Amino acid sequence: MKGETMTTTDAPTASDEMESLAAQLRMPYTLTPGWATGIFLAELGRHRLIGSRHGDTISVPAQDFSGTSGEPTEGLVEVAPVGALQGFTTTADGTLGLVLIDGTDIPMIHRLLDFDSETLQIGARVEAVWSDKPVGSMLDLAGFALASSSESFSPRAVPGDLLPPVLQVDYSMTLDYQHAYGPYYGTLFNAVKYDRRLRGVTCTKCARVLLPPRAMCDVCFAPTSQWVDIDAVGTVQASSIVHIEFIGQRMKPPYVYSEIVLDGTSTRLIHMIGDVDAEDAKTAATPGARVRAVWSDRRTGSLTDIDYFKLIP
Amino acid sequence: MSIAIVGTGQTVHARRRTDVSQAGLAREAVIEALADAGLTMDDIDSVIVASGPAMFGAVNQPEKWLVDALGARYKPLVRVTSGGGTGLAGALAAINQINGGSARRVLVVAYDKLSEGALQASISTLYDPFWGREFAVGIMGFAAAYWHARIEKLGHTEEAAALVAVKNRRQAMANPKAHVRREVTVDEVMASRPLCWPIKLLDVPPISDGACAVIFAAGGDAEAITDRPAWIHGMTYYSEADNGADRSMLQSEPLQIAAAKVYKQAGITNPFRQFDVAEVQEPYTCFELSYYEGLGLCPEGGAAELIESGETAMGGSLPVNPSGGCMGANPIGATALIRLAEAAMQVTGKAGDHQVVGAERALVQAGGGWANLRGVAAVGAEKR
Repeated sequence: MKGETMTTTDAPTASDEMESLAAQLRMPYTLTPGWATGIFLAELGRHRLIGSRHGDTISVPAQDFSGTSGEPTEGLVEVAPVGALQGFTTTADGTLGLVLIDGTDIPMIHRLLDFDSETLQIGARVEAVWSDKPVGSMLDLAGFALASSSESFSPRAVPGDLLPPVLQVDYSMTLDYQHAYGPYYGTLFNAVKYDRRLRGVTCTKCARVLLPPRAMCDVCFAPTSQWVDIDAVGTVQASSIVHIEFIGQRMKPPYVYSEIVLDGTSTRLIHMIGDVDAEDAKTAATPGARVRAVWSDRRTGSLTDIDYFKLIP
Repeated sequence: MSIAIVGTGQTVHARRRTDVSQAGLAREAVIEALADAGLTMDDIDSVIVASGPAMFGAVNQPEKWLVDALGARYKPLVRVTSGGGTGLAGALAAINQINGGSARRVLVVAYDKLSEGALQASISTLYDPFWGREFAVGIMGFAAAYWHARIEKLGHTEEAAALVAVKNRRQAMANPKAHVRREVTVDEVMASRPLCWPIKLLDVPPISDGACAVIFAAGGDAEAITDRPAWIHGMTYYSEADNGADRSMLQSEPLQIAAAKVYKQAGITNPFRQFDVAEVQEPYTCFELSYYEGLGLCPEGGAAELIESGETAMGGSLPVNPSGGCMGANPIGATALIRLAEAAMQVTGKAGDHQVVGAERALVQAGGGWANLRGVAAVGAEKR
C-alpha cells in the first residue's frame, strides 16, 4: 500500500487501496457425540471397535440412527479391528483411506500409517493401530497399517464390560481470514492509518453522508460520489456498559459500548467510550452525549487506531 | 391457498443435553411432531432444516448430517438460517413450497445445541469485520445500548422490563418443556448482576439445547390429517438495511411493515382486541416492550403502561408468551419456530396447563439480525 495524501474529492483508485485485513477467529467447542458414537469413542481406549446394527447393515463407528430409515440402532456389536482398503488419497499431511472393516457395510475414513507405494493398493488388508495415550477421541485409533496377520472375526455381541459413552469431545477451530478492504474501506482506513482522518461518501440523491463509505446509498439506492472528511467528533446514539466476560472478548470489562453518529454523517460508528467510570457512565455516557475520538499510537488501518471516544464536558 | 399446521413437537430443552448429538436432538422433536400429526416420514414431501449460525455448533452445513437421523433420505431437503428468526424463516420457506405447488406436506425442524460453542464470541462474528467487531458483545451490547435509548425516549424503564421477566418466568412454570422454571420478583431482577447495563442477569433468557418441529399441510391434506388444524392466516419476514442512514432503532421498521402485511392478510384491524394470545421472541426483556409497540398492541411509548396493566399476563385480555417465551428456553435457531408451534397449540386447544381458554387467533413475532430482520405470523382455528 502507498501512503500518498489524498484530497477530499479524490475517487478511490487501486493505488490507494490497502489489500486485506487479517482476522482470526478462535472458537472452543464441547461437542456431543451421542450414545452409540460415545460408546465407540470410549471403547477405542480398550482397543475395541464398536459398531451398530441397522437391519442387515452394520455401521462403524457406531451410529445412533440408520442412514437408510432414520430408525434408532437395534444394538451394538463388536467388530474386528481389521479390514480392507477401498480407496485412498495422499496429501502433504499424509494419507487418508476408506477402510471397510470386516463384516461391516459402510467404509470408515481414517489415517493410513506406514504405507509405501508398493503396499498402498486398493484391496490391501489393514489393521488398527492404537494410540498409546487414549484421551476419548477418534485419534485413540491412530490409524490403519498393513495387516500383520490374517486374524479376524465376524461381528459379535458386545462384551459385558462395555464402557459408558463419552459425553463430550473437546474441540477447537482457529480460522484465519484475509478480508479484502476494497476501494471504499481501503480509502477510509488508509486515511485513518496515515492521516488520522475519517472519510465518508455523499449520496448523489439524498446528500446524506455515509460512514463507512460505500458505493450505493442503502436508502435511496442511488450511487454515492463525493468524498467527505469527517471530524472524529459526534453524538452518542446509544450506549451500554459491558460487564460480562466471555471467551473471545477483545477487551477487559467494564467498558462502554457505544454507537456514535459523527457530526455531518447519518450512520452509526461502533466504538467504546473510555476514560469514564462504569457507574458514572450510566448518566454521563448517555444517548445525546457529545464525544471526541482519542487516537492511538497504533497504526493498524482499523477502528482500533482510535483508542476510545472521550466525553466532551 | 389455505395452509395449516397439523403437528408440532419440541424436545425437552436444557442447558446441556449430553445424551444426544445435534442430529439426535433434531430427531427428538421430529418424532414428537409426526406422532402429534399421526404421520410417518413416508407422508412428508419435503424437509426444511432451520438452525442458527454454523459457528454455534462447529458443524458447517449440518443438514447433510441430519438426513440420516431424520429418515429424510431421497427427500428434498434444504437449510434456512436467519439468526433468532431462523425458525420463522424456515416456516415461511415451507409455506412458499406449498403455495408454489412443489409440496403438500412439509416438515420444518429447527434446532440449536448452544452448549457446544462459545455463544457471545460466535454472535460477535455477525458484525462486519471492519466495522465494530472489535467492540462487540454478541448482540447484548447492541441490544442494551438501544434499550438505553428507549429508556430515555420511550420510557421503557428497567422496572417495566423487570415485569416482563417476572411475567414470562412465572408463565414458564406451567410449560413442561421449559428449561428454566423459577419465579423471580421485580426486586430480584433489579438487583441482579449487570451483564451489559441496562441488561441484567435476569433480563436474559437461558442458553439452551433444544429443537422444535412443525408439519405444514395444504388445505385438503390438513383436513384429512387432523380435525384440529391450526390455519395460517398470514406470515411474512422483512428486512431493513443494517447500517442505512438515519436508523434511530427506537422502532424496528421491518417489524412494523411485517405486522401491517400480516394483519392485512389475516383481516386484523385491531390486533390488541382481535388476537386472543401472542407468542413473541424476546431474547432480552426489553425486546418484549419494544415489540408491543412495533406490533401495534399499544401506541409508541405505551409499552411500559401496557406491561404494568397486567393485560399481557395470563388472565389478561391479550396474554403474551403463555409458554414463558425465551425466558423458559432459548435454543436460538429453534426459538422462532417454538413461538409458532406454541401459537398453533393455543388455537387448537393443545397447550395443556398454559392454555389460554378459548383462544382462536394467535399472533407470532420473531426476528434475527440487528433489529433489521423481522417476521410476523398469525394462526387461527378458523379456516382461512
